[in-house]
Amino acid sequence: MDSQESIAGTLFLHFAMLSMMAIGGGVISLAPDMQRFVVDAHHWLSNENFVAAFTIAQVSPGPNFLFATLVGLQAAGWLGALAATVAIVIPPAILTVVVLRASTRRSGNRYGRMLKAALAPLSVGMILATAWSLARVADSSWGAAVLTAATVVILLTRKINPLWLIAAGALIGMTGWI
Amino acid sequence: MATDNSILPDADLPRPNVSLMALLGAFVRLGMATFGGGVQAWVHRDIVVKRRWLDEKEFLSGLTVAQVLPGANPVNIALYVGMRLRGGIGGAIAVLGMVIPAFCVILVLGYLYRTYGHFEIVHFVLAGMAAAAVGATLQMGIKVAGRLPRNVMAAVVAGGCFAVVGILRWPMVPVVVVAAPISIAWAFLLERKAGNVR
Repeated sequence: MDSQESIAGTLFLHFAMLSMMAIGGGVISLAPDMQRFVVDAHHWLSNENFVAAFTIAQVSPGPNFLFATLVGLQAAGWLGALAATVAIVIPPAILTVVVLRASTRRSGNRYGRMLKAALAPLSVGMILATAWSLARVADSSWGAAVLTAATVVILLTRKINPLWLIAAGALIGMTGWI
Repeated sequence: MATDNSILPDADLPRPNVSLMALLGAFVRLGMATFGGGVQAWVHRDIVVKRRWLDEKEFLSGLTVAQVLPGANPVNIALYVGMRLRGGIGGAIAVLGMVIPAFCVILVLGYLYRTYGHFEIVHFVLAGMAAAAVGATLQMGIKVAGRLPRNVMAAVVAGGCFAVVGILRWPMVPVVVVAAPISIAWAFLLERKAGNVR
């Protein structure tokens, strides 16, 4: 069994590299690779623990990318939580500071818009990959799959905060129906 | 050195006098208010509409840069607003304000999960919440997919990334390192064919 320090170190290096891959879709699009790394490759977390981290971060106040913090916490305690968070925040922040200092307003607008359009297909693919990797675990029963499908349909057809549907999911889950 | 057409103008240009404490307060509140995504809408409402620290155009040019660079969008937006108003120290304070309180809350929730996660009722409740949260993520993917241009390039890149990272579970770093330049080059060629760039 690895020590918590060495797990936190390994996690830090991998997440720091991964953080620079979060283009367009934000940090949630990193979920498939985090799951592959911490669950499949290293067995620090179970699949269920991983999906719980994602779910709790969705309903917690604050930016969603903090699900990485919960992954780190479960893998290597508070040191892991800190390592995961710093690794996700700092490398892209340094790049952002450099680019902001270097860009003029016009170049920022022009190249920014062009790059955003160019990277949009990539981010769509990654968000769908995230949904797929989580669904493989979360939708292990028919009830859960129906709940996921219903959530998609409701959110596509109505303007409603997803939090209400997650709250409804909690109530439905409580009945043991899922 | 920043010049007058820089995205981060010099200190001597006119801008609202925002104290570091006010900046910290604003981003602590924003950090705690942003439930489940949509951070830019919250920041816009608070920083542009309510406090008038930035005007619409300033906010949008920063937002474009924040969205296209890697990393968490909330962090990049906080960096831009903070640096724009108070330079490097302002950027650091805005990011810390946005992240630290939320980090503490999520640590508490994480410890609660570790302590009570083995109870059956917690397991049931989380299973229901997870099914809905996955639905919300899938809906977001479908929504942005609907806004993609209808061309071969978009379909190949989006479908390819989904297949290799989602279904085949390949490591993401090499996939992005290969797919991002292809996507950018392809989009550039399409633009040039359309005569938008020389």
